[in-house]
Amino acid sequence: MSAQPIVVTVAKDLEDLIPTFMKNRSKEVEALRAALAAGNMEQLRQLGHRMKGVGNSYGFELVSTLGKQIEDGAKAGDRAGLEARIAEYADYLARVQIVYE
Amino acid sequence: MSDLASGRVAHAAQAAFRVLVVDDDPDMAGFLALLLAQQGMHADIAADGHVALEMIAAAPPDLVLLDVQMPGPSGFDICRRLKSEDSTALLPVVLITALEDHESRVRGIEAGADDFLSKPVQREELLARVKTLRRLHETRKELEGRRLAAEVQAKEAIRKAFSRYLSPRLAERVLRESPDGEAVFRNLSERTAVVALFADLRGFTRLSETVPVSRIVPMLNEFFTELTAAAHDHEGTVFSMAGDSLLVGFNVPVPQDDAMTRAVTTARAMIERFAPVAARWKREHGLAAGIGILASVLHQSPASTAHSTCH
Repeated sequence: MSAQPIVVTVAKDLEDLIPTFMKNRSKEVEALRAALAAGNMEQLRQLGHRMKGVGNSYGFELVSTLGKQIEDGAKAGDRAGLEARIAEYADYLARVQIVYE
Repeated sequence: MSDLASGRVAHAAQAAFRVLVVDDDPDMAGFLALLLAQQGMHADIAADGHVALEMIAAAPPDLVLLDVQMPGPSGFDICRRLKSEDSTALLPVVLITALEDHESRVRGIEAGADDFLSKPVQREELLARVKTLRRLHETRKELEGRRLAAEVQAKEAIRKAFSRYLSPRLAERVLRESPDGEAVFRNLSERTAVVALFADLRGFTRLSETVPVSRIVPMLNEFFTELTAAAHDHEGTVFSMAGDSLLVGFNVPVPQDDAMTRAVTTARAMIERFAPVAARWKREHGLAAGIGILASVLHQSPASTAHSTCH
């Protein structure tokens, strides 16, 4: 995986909400990992569903895309796929850079 | 958690349109509240269905934005509950569902949702839907206000019309007991023993010959004012006022067990009220006026007819 930053443009008026939003995304990765370790597919489905809704609303398209993949993976019980998506999510969060416009 | 996600987004305007955002995801709730506040609306946040129902009961908002998927009661449950109660049935509810979730939309329609919003939420879509519902809500409120005003006006007109013939207390009772103006009169086809009180002015013919007409009318008004007040004090109903005579009924339109006693008491009160007027007329016009009164039970067999006269 490259360490290239991923630039995301977010509406200026959401700036105050972003620190909490990002903190909650990091917590989400931990929750996803814990749910996967416990084999709790329902929890994974719910977390994926939430990511899908909130990501794009704030302008984080990939959060919504990964959310949908996690929701679908949980429904299908695809552990390997879920693991890969969660890793991708953690990597994305580590590299994301926000520009306000 | 930011202030937006955890608490209230207040707006300075007192009469701001109030929206309750119900979403267990604080980021989503905070996002929606911010967009609404930017439009000058007041947004409150409830993190679950129980809290939402409590907040709505305590201070009903003008609109509810409701997430479908939440722990505890779902958006559908809350929507159904709001729509089934009279006090909240008209409260507009927007359900927030995933874009591709057609099943949720169908369930939402069945639960009575007024509109839907897709997640991820597009600002323009949110604002357009909220503005439309706000307009509808305001129109509905205005129409309801006008309807109430018209109702009050109609009732007032009825009250005024009644008050010419019934005592204010009796008119109030008729209006209260028959909001449709019918109930009290429903038994009018039945035979009722009515006590009628007839009063007229002795010496009226002489009066009309000696006093100019322009002065007679105010004098008759004075006479009728005193006698009508006496009738109303005892809840009598004025049947007719003609020339110098007044016909008052008791035991109608509502039953009065003590109708005859009321008639006699009314007769005494009429004499008492008229006495100072008669004294003044005598002073001013040299007239010896008095009143003749007959009270009698009507609509019964002649054998049981009771009457009494006094003057």
